[in-house]
Amino acid sequence: MKQTTIGVIGAGRIGRMHTENLVHHIPEAEVRAVASPHLDEAWAEGLGIPMRSTENSAVFDDTKIEAVVITAPSGRHSELIRQAAAAGKHIFCEKPVGFEEGPIEDAIAAANAAGVQLQVGFNRRFDPNVCRLAEAVHNGDVGELHGLRVINRDPASPPIDFVRRSGGMFFDFAIHDFDTIRFLSGSEIEEIFAAGAVLIDPEIGNAGDIDTAIITLRLANGALCVIDNSRQARYGYDQRFEAFGSKGNLVVDNNRPTSMESFLEGGVYTDLPPTTFVERYRDAFIAELQAFVRCLREKKPVSVSADDALAAVKAAGAAKRSMDGNRPVKLDAAEAAGGSTR
Amino acid sequence: MKKITIGVIGAGRIGKLHADNLLAMPGVRLKSVADPYLNPDDWSGRGVAPTLEPADMFNDPEVEAVLICSPTPTHAEFTEIAANAGKHVFCEKPIALDPDRVRKTLEVVEKAGVKLQVGFNRRFDPTFARVRQAVVDGEIGTVHLVKIIARDPSPPAPEYVADSGGMFLDMTIHDFDMVRFLSGSEVDEVHAFGAVLVDPAIGAAGDVDTAVVTLKLANGALAVIENSRKAVFGYDQRLEVFGSEGGVEASNELPCQVKLRTAAGIRAENPLYFFLERYQRSFVAELEAFIACIREDRQPPVGGRDGLMSVLIGLAAGRSMVENRPVRVEAP
Repeated sequence: MKQTTIGVIGAGRIGRMHTENLVHHIPEAEVRAVASPHLDEAWAEGLGIPMRSTENSAVFDDTKIEAVVITAPSGRHSELIRQAAAAGKHIFCEKPVGFEEGPIEDAIAAANAAGVQLQVGFNRRFDPNVCRLAEAVHNGDVGELHGLRVINRDPASPPIDFVRRSGGMFFDFAIHDFDTIRFLSGSEIEEIFAAGAVLIDPEIGNAGDIDTAIITLRLANGALCVIDNSRQARYGYDQRFEAFGSKGNLVVDNNRPTSMESFLEGGVYTDLPPTTFVERYRDAFIAELQAFVRCLREKKPVSVSADDALAAVKAAGAAKRSMDGNRPVKLDAAEAAGGSTR
Repeated sequence: MKKITIGVIGAGRIGKLHADNLLAMPGVRLKSVADPYLNPDDWSGRGVAPTLEPADMFNDPEVEAVLICSPTPTHAEFTEIAANAGKHVFCEKPIALDPDRVRKTLEVVEKAGVKLQVGFNRRFDPTFARVRQAVVDGEIGTVHLVKIIARDPSPPAPEYVADSGGMFLDMTIHDFDMVRFLSGSEVDEVHAFGAVLVDPAIGAAGDVDTAVVTLKLANGALAVIENSRKAVFGYDQRLEVFGSEGGVEASNELPCQVKLRTAAGIRAENPLYFFLERYQRSFVAELEAFIACIREDRQPPVGGRDGLMSVLIGLAAGRSMVENRPVRVEAP
């Protein structure tokens, strides 16, 4: 079997995780190179990665590399996509693909022109729970869809340095939820009202961001949806989903490390949810790269398209404008159309 | 212990429920029930004097307090008459749909110096009261989010909808009160999305049957309410308060805890069907609280101002939905 040759750009937390997943769980792929300005040589060497560099050009210029996994800071994503496309590499890019529509559209156009595939890291679409929920909704188990609710709360606030370059909570964090809503509903987002607050850490406010939000959304199919976000849930990474419709309600609760319940004097206790996204979405992170590699090998289009990436960014932009202007914001229906929502 | 003598005005569904609860309550004497449409046979042998005429009750010096369970448009007037007659008043929600009418009634009540409790029964539900207690005890730290799901099992008749004041004043009004109760904060601003997804006849009557309402609270917290007029699996009543130190939530209550496991799957019971079943204990507890306040000369835990605030939030939600913009809640 000839392996698909991959280069990883960026070796921060998520870059290292993707690299390890490729090395340990995806035998069809070979990580040939990893490039990061702050590369931990020993870590990369330990994984048996032959090319280790502080320069991205080491990845882009290597003709044997077929695909790149981009995990650099979000603000650089669209530029790196263009560079990868110019080098003829297929691309897996972490979310968000950018903060502004123009550069993202340019990057997508570059990928299309180069004839390379572009998959964005909306890992929820590969989570077994979310997949099961989507299947049930699309199967009509709740009848006509009336509403979705997504609870997405981080266990602890990110470092302020990260907050500053993250693009803000809607682009960095709720972006997953906008995509999940499109994925689950099979419908486009038509209108958004977002209320945000700084309730956890004033430093986040000083950095121009928020740490708490409620986002309500009206979809093209008429359903009304709610997202709530917090940067700090003391009890762990809180990830819950519901789909309500004319025939009932579907609920996905938090995963728990074990199913033990403790009946004690003070009450009944269960395990807390996992404390990191790496743990909670472990299977999803592996599955999304497996799917990416499989699509490249079978020459099939990737299941999360560039249009999906753009639609989520547009929703994030609309949420930001809604919060800043304190008004509901309509997404341009024509612009929002397209992309695979199933 | 001297018994508190009470009269009930309105013997419809909720009036009968309250009357039955009072009859089973120690320290209380339900003396009369007034309703122009009542059937005297319903009350025979129960020690209650049925009457078609509410004035009988207002003129009876023995009656210390009245429960107003008549149709909503009569609430304000009966409350004022009762207050002027020196009776303490328990009034079903809402006092009136027009806030100025509510304000006038509250002035009359204040001048008369009687107690007024409004029928926000959910504050007395043991589960929700426990959630509030966790918040008060600081178990979840500072409140950041309040989330309420309130879905009815089946929509009301379109004729009812036309006179109800709309979903926000008829149904969501309870949730507005719960947001204030659970957070301990006033509501500054409201945004509402509404839709007709359940029954086009509700839309034709000028109302909505599905809504999500976002609320910004004076203490900085955010809240969201999800409503539907129809959850096919039963009365869906869940809520959650999330804060700096954790979260506390209440799930649906089930008639029993049986789980059936078969090859087809694992099946639990649907939630208790509707408000009479789900909030049974709260209806008793709210009257017990009212009676205790009379007996101990305390102010009721949920009063006229609470009634007014929920109406003001409901009106802001209605305006928000129609004008498609967030709307600030009018000052009381």
